[in-house]
Amino acid sequence: MEEKTFDPDLIRAIFKLVWEKRGAEREKNQLSENEAEAGPSTTKRSRQIPANGNALKLSCELLRVFVAEAIQRAAAIAEAEGSLKIEATHLERILPQLLLDF
Amino acid sequence: MASDVERGEEEEEEEESASELLRDRFRLCTISIAETEAKRNGMEISQPIMACISDLAFKYAKQLARDVELFAQHAGRKSINMEDVILSAHRNDHLSASLRSFSNNLKAKEPQSDRKRKKITKKEDKAAKEVLHIDS
Repeated sequence: MEEKTFDPDLIRAIFKLVWEKRGAEREKNQLSENEAEAGPSTTKRSRQIPANGNALKLSCELLRVFVAEAIQRAAAIAEAEGSLKIEATHLERILPQLLLDF
Repeated sequence: MASDVERGEEEEEEEESASELLRDRFRLCTISIAETEAKRNGMEISQPIMACISDLAFKYAKQLARDVELFAQHAGRKSINMEDVILSAHRNDHLSASLRSFSNNLKAKEPQSDRKRKKITKKEDKAAKEVLHIDS
């Protein structure tokens, strides 16, 4: 009975993308403050290598729970209405509480 | 300066396409998870809703990345920790409790012992059920 979950490598790739972007933005801000001329690909300096393996797995679990919660709550509403398919209206109703919880 | 702007634009395009690629891969994963979940309740998901949920989760993943980076920096660390991830789930008690027990299981798994493995599957089931009783 294997539970489906996100791929840790995918999550790590997403995280890296976000961090590199943030690093580049920070670099840009710093550069415009100091008015430095030489601006080669400075992202290399700020490329930390975070992402502990277990932290990644935990993030996968967190995202999996997010998706699972969304589906379960919407399914509950759909069932209460007596329909067999999860539609937009069901998702709408659970969205506020879902976003507050996460 | 002009070359900087150009490079900035190129980088942006690269990022966009990398982001799109990741979003598609993410969508595939989300679809399989969501369908398993829906089947568990005997429900079907309509395709546009599938895309909505996947994009929502993708945005959430990006937010999570920023949150977790900020927490680690705030703690003066260079790499992320499980604590950072658990902290980012602080808004909901059930959620952080279930994440904490999941993380304890992960820590326990390291000195590979068979006895602990049986405990894990039971705990994960309990954690999954706990999370459901969130509303009211």
